[in-house]
Amino acid sequence: MIEEAKISGYQLGMLIVGFVFGSSVILNPAAVAYQDAWFAQLLAWLGGFVLLGLYVAIYLLSPEQNLIETLREGFGKYLGSLIGLFYIWYFIHLASLVFRDLGEYMMTVTYTETPLVFLIISFSLPIAYLVKSGIEAIGRTAEITIFVIPISVLITVVLLIPNYDFNSLQPFLEEGLTPVLEGAFNNLSFPFGETVIFLMLFPALNEKDKLIKASSLGLFVAGVLLITITLRDIMVLGSNIFRRAIFPAHLSTTLLPAEIDQLIAINWLLGSGAKITVCIYATVKGLAELFKLNSYKLLALPTVVLAVGLSLWSFDDLIGLLRWSSEIYPYYALPFQIVIPVLLLIILLFKRYLR
Amino acid sequence: MFRKLAGIYNYLKHKSQDYFQSEQPQEEESEQEKVPRDIQKVKQKLAETFADCSDFVLRELKIGDDSQFKVILAYFEGLTDHEIINNGILDPLMIESKKIGIDRRHEGELIQKIKEEIINVGEVGEADTFTRTVEELLAGGTVLYIDGQGTALKFDTTAWEERGVEEPQTESIVRGPREGFVESLSTNISLLRRRIKNANLKFKVLNLGVQTNTDVAIGYLAGIVNEDVLKMVEERVQRIKIDAVLESGYIEEFIEDSPFSIFPTVGSSERPDKVAGKLLEGRVAILCEGTPFVLTVPYLFIEAFQSSEDYYNRPYVATIGRSLRFLALIITAALPAFYVAVLTFHQNILPFELLLNITAAVEGIPFSPFFETLVLGTAFELLREAGVRMPKPIGQAVSIVGALILGEAAVEAGIASHPIVIVTAVTAITSFILSPLLEPLIFIRLFLLVAANTLGFMGMGLVIITIFVHLVNLKSFGVPYLAPFSPLSGMDLEDTLVRFPLWAMLTRPRILAWREEEGEKYRLDANLIKKEE
Repeated sequence: MIEEAKISGYQLGMLIVGFVFGSSVILNPAAVAYQDAWFAQLLAWLGGFVLLGLYVAIYLLSPEQNLIETLREGFGKYLGSLIGLFYIWYFIHLASLVFRDLGEYMMTVTYTETPLVFLIISFSLPIAYLVKSGIEAIGRTAEITIFVIPISVLITVVLLIPNYDFNSLQPFLEEGLTPVLEGAFNNLSFPFGETVIFLMLFPALNEKDKLIKASSLGLFVAGVLLITITLRDIMVLGSNIFRRAIFPAHLSTTLLPAEIDQLIAINWLLGSGAKITVCIYATVKGLAELFKLNSYKLLALPTVVLAVGLSLWSFDDLIGLLRWSSEIYPYYALPFQIVIPVLLLIILLFKRYLR
Repeated sequence: MFRKLAGIYNYLKHKSQDYFQSEQPQEEESEQEKVPRDIQKVKQKLAETFADCSDFVLRELKIGDDSQFKVILAYFEGLTDHEIINNGILDPLMIESKKIGIDRRHEGELIQKIKEEIINVGEVGEADTFTRTVEELLAGGTVLYIDGQGTALKFDTTAWEERGVEEPQTESIVRGPREGFVESLSTNISLLRRRIKNANLKFKVLNLGVQTNTDVAIGYLAGIVNEDVLKMVEERVQRIKIDAVLESGYIEEFIEDSPFSIFPTVGSSERPDKVAGKLLEGRVAILCEGTPFVLTVPYLFIEAFQSSEDYYNRPYVATIGRSLRFLALIITAALPAFYVAVLTFHQNILPFELLLNITAAVEGIPFSPFFETLVLGTAFELLREAGVRMPKPIGQAVSIVGALILGEAAVEAGIASHPIVIVTAVTAITSFILSPLLEPLIFIRLFLLVAANTLGFMGMGLVIITIFVHLVNLKSFGVPYLAPFSPLSGMDLEDTLVRFPLWAMLTRPRILAWREEEGEKYRLDANLIKKEE
């Protein structure tokens, strides 16, 4: 498939920041660990590096190939295509989950009387336009927008200093390691393990030597941001409210002095937007690869429509979504994020070195 | 959608091109007619061609020892200089030719003799075809047809009334040269040549417009300009086939990268110093006869924020100016939308006292903030248009009536609220800071307003992202429109939000040479030397 447009290392890093930051800041997946959530997140972050290393290794073993091509190479034409189809399903499902997250968040917090479908559709149109414009536009849009996220996080962290209560972080490991590991496991699958999707984007990188640097720096920044936000939320809200709040990050920003929380919400918009864009791009790119189409751009709008529909049909309400994403999602994502990539890596290693 | 429309547009463009191309060869054949040898025929043809042209002058003369050669001297009154014709052509022809002694023996070399020994005009040339001589006449030349020769002589006697070089009406600055371009192409070229005394400054002159035959010059600095861009410009300009080119705007519309975008991808300026600066950065200038507005390409988004004065003032002042312009962009694009979004969705973002004041001011107004903003914004645009179209003395009165009396009366009558008048006024004032973006900003303001009324801040965010995506997609002659921000080009950030001191600007804009990534080639030698000292 012809891929002319390229993205730079900086753009890839920014996309990873936006993707990982994404919706995981709206819903904190590590909250099950109460005041130790930051520790769980730290563990998940380290695990995220391992997983990203796994994905990068897969890419380096089969350079210039996207995930679908690599799967075909590893598992053979038919099984590989089948697994590729599953991955495409996973990507579009992920997009629909983020759509729903964001829609529910917006509906709960600001637009209480606006129908969910309207929110999601209006949110999906710029994304369709962006994906249709191609990977170069995606990278460059990330380049000029994502930098807002660290800045706004910094602003909230600084402005909330009067509300900090360091005692909320104690006692450390009150219930032992189990809740921490549970939180870490949840957090590893959402969002760190989801970076498997970048196997679809790595081939578009034009500065090959910057792959490892860009992706690890992106993950580093995103992890720092997430842990900072978790620490901030725990210290501002206290561990109990932190665990019980549906949107802890939003709750703590409502305490900001000038009540600028709705402006701060822009960074969740950006993060989720980056995440959905990457998901939709991976889906259309994968579909085009799978069915040997010349261009993925035509598929952008239909895929977005599909993801929007899926996001509306999948769950009845916010509670269903929360339950599913905390109890089922980690196991649902396990094969996509860990099992298949590990298998793939082993097969590729065998093919490269033992033959 | 834009792409689809652009596809249709391109199709139509090619269609019309094919049409002209298939038409042209036949025309050319009929036009490639030789100058008749018989002087009577020449006279007849000229009379036919210039029938009812009252400013056309045709003089029959007899030259030579015994007045044995019949010649016709033709020119246009008003396009030519009488003095040159009298002293440089008529006088020598009628007097010198007799002194030198041309007779029958010289018939073969008559043209040479006249050219080299008789005429004392600076630029003399020969024309073989009749069409060529007609073109020459229309361009202000004088043509001498000689009986029995089949070749005519043309003399450059161009001289017509033109406006003197004045201070430009647009783009006024405090410090800097007061000269502006004028309508004459040769004067404009000389204005640039005077600033860049360099043999590498080239001007390629083309002829555009099937009916108007307008001269258009493509100027560039050889060695600095990006060859790819230059080639693209030449191709696109040569492709233009229309009846008339009356202003450089005609050319602009044909060579734009994205004809359906609301953003300009071709720059225009009235200031020679600005255009010279752009040439020195490696851009290409397109000068058009008959207009003081010179086009420069590639045109990037950042250029709307750059004023030539930035480089004449000290860097601190320039940097403050740039920052203010960026602030103006944000205010003028988003302030009305922000106001509507706050009043409609996000009241709690305001401090309590301010909210009370605004609520008190808005109370009793029968319209929604959105409607109010829209109406006042439209009223302002109407006033602006009136101010531009009116004769200047009346224009001032219109703005006073509009701004002071109407605004105040509307508030008094309870039709509009005070805050909205403030918002509209601030938006209007700031919009003039970014004059190149005046038109796109009207659209952006409107989009943002509608979005803010529908979805508040989120809607605004979505529209802004969409505009970003559009900007990212834009290219101006192969150069990304948002460069150097996206794609990020570190060295070029020296001349964006912050203007570095001139001695710290070590490289020419690398963005303009985007495709060839050789840093060395684009180093600014003079500055390097200065730094080493």
